[in-house]
Amino acid sequence: MRRFQLLAAAAIAAIGLQGVAAAPPLGLPPVPIPPDNPQSQDKIKLGDRLFNDKRFSADGKVACATCHKREKGFTDQKPVSEGFRNLRGTRNAPTIVNAAYMKTLFWDGREPDLEGQAKQPFVNPVEGGLPDHGPMLEVIRKDPEYVQAFKSVFGVEAGDITIDHVAKAIAAFERTVISGNSPFDRWRYGGEPDALDEAQKRGFEVFVGKGRCVSCHVIEQTQALFTDNRFHNIGVGFKKIRGREFQVAREFLRAKRAGADVDKTVLTKPEASELGRFAVTENLTQVGAFKTPTLRNVAVTFPYMHDGSLETLEDVVDFYNNGGRLREDDPVSPFLSGGIRPLDLSDEEKKDLVAFLKALTSPEYAQIAQNR
Amino acid sequence: MNVSRSTGWMAATAAALWLGLGQADEFTQEDLQRWNQEFMEVVKEGDRLFHGGFPSKNTVSCDQCHPNATNTHPETYPKFQKQLGEVVPMWRMINWCIENPLESEPLPADDPRMTALQAYIHWERRGAKLEPGKH
Amino acid sequence: MNRRNFLKTGLGAAAVGALPMSLVEIAWGAKDEERFTFAYISDSHITHVRGNEFVRNWDRGLIRAVAECNLLDPRPDFVVYGGDIAQLGKPEEIDHGLEILSGLRDKVYYVMGEHDYYVDLGDYWRKRLGPDWYAFDHKGVHFIVLNSILTYSEWTHKKWESGMARMKEMARLDNPNGSPFMVGEEQRKWLAQDLAKVDRDTPIVVCSHSPLQKIYKGWNFWTEDAEEIHKLLAPFKKVTVIYGHVHQIQYNQIGNISFYAVMATAWPWPYPNTYALAESHLPKLTVPMNRADPFFERDATGWQLIDVHSGRVDTHYFLPDNTNRSVVFDEKRGHPVDTRYQAVAARIPPQQHY
Repeated sequence: MRRFQLLAAAAIAAIGLQGVAAAPPLGLPPVPIPPDNPQSQDKIKLGDRLFNDKRFSADGKVACATCHKREKGFTDQKPVSEGFRNLRGTRNAPTIVNAAYMKTLFWDGREPDLEGQAKQPFVNPVEGGLPDHGPMLEVIRKDPEYVQAFKSVFGVEAGDITIDHVAKAIAAFERTVISGNSPFDRWRYGGEPDALDEAQKRGFEVFVGKGRCVSCHVIEQTQALFTDNRFHNIGVGFKKIRGREFQVAREFLRAKRAGADVDKTVLTKPEASELGRFAVTENLTQVGAFKTPTLRNVAVTFPYMHDGSLETLEDVVDFYNNGGRLREDDPVSPFLSGGIRPLDLSDEEKKDLVAFLKALTSPEYAQIAQNR
Repeated sequence: MNVSRSTGWMAATAAALWLGLGQADEFTQEDLQRWNQEFMEVVKEGDRLFHGGFPSKNTVSCDQCHPNATNTHPETYPKFQKQLGEVVPMWRMINWCIENPLESEPLPADDPRMTALQAYIHWERRGAKLEPGKH
Repeated sequence: MNRRNFLKTGLGAAAVGALPMSLVEIAWGAKDEERFTFAYISDSHITHVRGNEFVRNWDRGLIRAVAECNLLDPRPDFVVYGGDIAQLGKPEEIDHGLEILSGLRDKVYYVMGEHDYYVDLGDYWRKRLGPDWYAFDHKGVHFIVLNSILTYSEWTHKKWESGMARMKEMARLDNPNGSPFMVGEEQRKWLAQDLAKVDRDTPIVVCSHSPLQKIYKGWNFWTEDAEEIHKLLAPFKKVTVIYGHVHQIQYNQIGNISFYAVMATAWPWPYPNTYALAESHLPKLTVPMNRADPFFERDATGWQLIDVHSGRVDTHYFLPDNTNRSVVFDEKRGHPVDTRYQAVAARIPPQQHY
């Protein structure tokens, strides 16, 4: 395993991360950096500041960091996020940690990269609440520190700063929020046989075996992203539109044809939200399908699922154990993914699986997990 | 013990050893046929297990998805199998199929039924060139 | 094209087959006379385990196809079910399958499959669904449904221990003791009489369970009297055959006849040319479906929307866990082509089967 790490480090040196090359932590591959947005220390610092700036919202109280708090594992630990004037959306804030590895962003993958994602919440009617990006660019252009930073990072004068520059800086910052090196990583990739306790080791066997977790929450021979970057209907939230899928899909598509914005619609209309990936692709086979989130640091990123409807890891395990429903007598979604089915786990196996999930916490967030 | 007697004894022993080993190394056409029959008996058992003979809890059988053991790719193992998260030999994937589509109990690696299933699968794929690791 | 453009704009343009609703809207805007669509679901292999228990995997496949089909907007004119509702032809399997299918919002026409037939020679199926060969006309197209899974009467009427024993022999795809499918003389006679009443310019769509071509006899991807059927259809200008049984994407053109296979809702089958020990004849035109990941039980299964226009057929494959595919009739080339993958350079690694 050691050799793989060295190779990974060499690969980074070879492609060059513009001076901020750091070997990825144990268990993770090198962070992919888009060629049109190279990393630099100044850019990362600028992105960090933008990420935390509350002035980019209608009431001056909401920053990216409001829903993605470092001390909460870069989530808000709420079922669904609250934007300006405490307005609520429809979806649970996913963690920023390791988002750099995601091949699409948002629960329904409606943006292809962090740059695209970063622009949306400012102008969403239940998040930042700005009418457009104009007001925030005004704030930036009048702030001498920002003007100086954008000039040194992007070589632009105040008047030429655009939302694309802002998005690039935020994305560069987010690409530094990377965490591996969990007890699992040390056990599996670091040659430390005692990094997991016996329950966690048994839980790992459930994870890759009877629990059928590993096919979507991917673990590989030398690395583990714990996501397949794909979209699956696992049964969450289907009761909200059960039997009305045809009407909900039809209404959504008609609104979309008439010019409605997908980002705004899915966050403000609870029923449309449940269409999942379908809202983006209009593909009938993706109704109610949502992106597989990573499981790294899952002990601190509660509550769970796209709608934050499951509070604990025990609930999550029960949900899967019952084949995509919390209780055995709940109805099964007709659109359920073929990967989901009852697992017949024993109480012991369920406990072990939860123990394993708690071994995925990186050292940066271990304290938060303990405080829960 | 004089030298010449000792040498003669050694020579005789060597000759005996030579002959004895020589006989053990030789096998006949008859042996080959018999061994092949032994193998084909196991293939036949594998064929039976593969086509509904395995006590599958939900009645699903291997041949339902793999007629003539196609799409099993025995020549590609060991390989990375994403359903298991690591590089595995073929019997691990056979067990995956037994546990998942067949919803039944997995077999030990050295269970004669596991050997038979592999014998049948390899036999149906004879002649394919080895391509370990190929997905 | 960078990823952003692909995701934002490319998808809309490239994924016509993935966008059934807008597709159908476009179709309605076209000037073609009597353009219409119908859905095609097939090969569910509902399997009775014991008591009230059925194999969950196959149940879910049919349930999902019905649910997705019910989302089509506008509605298809009708649905065709392509055969093999049941695995072993048991009444409880046929009943359970029909109960799931009763969730469809549209009229369904049924085709007989060998798994519905060989236990009681189709008695229960016909009791529930009526005759197993028939014809009907819809918006200027003449539809013919055949029972193409009959076989030599010596085989059918061997001294079988039971109907179920016969069923199990025929249910095993790679059975060396099976017997080749055929339409048979009685039906061919009926077909000739039926076709005699049809104008040569009338488009014809034939729905059968077996391929009505000779692809691989070892797995009964085969119809023994295919050539005779082709001869009966030869005088007509536009003929399409849609068939099930093979659980995979296939398409072909033989003379005036276009062929399209439909997916199973239950499980996929390998392509016969991957059986290295026997020769087969996979239609050259076919760009294979993706090789399946068995974890995703719906991978490489699916259902179809058939778009009929100017007497030709386009087949849109809905493929859970996969990119949807569209195989359309290309007037210029005179045969079906895949809208995205037909060129060799456009094909993707999962379409390699070995």
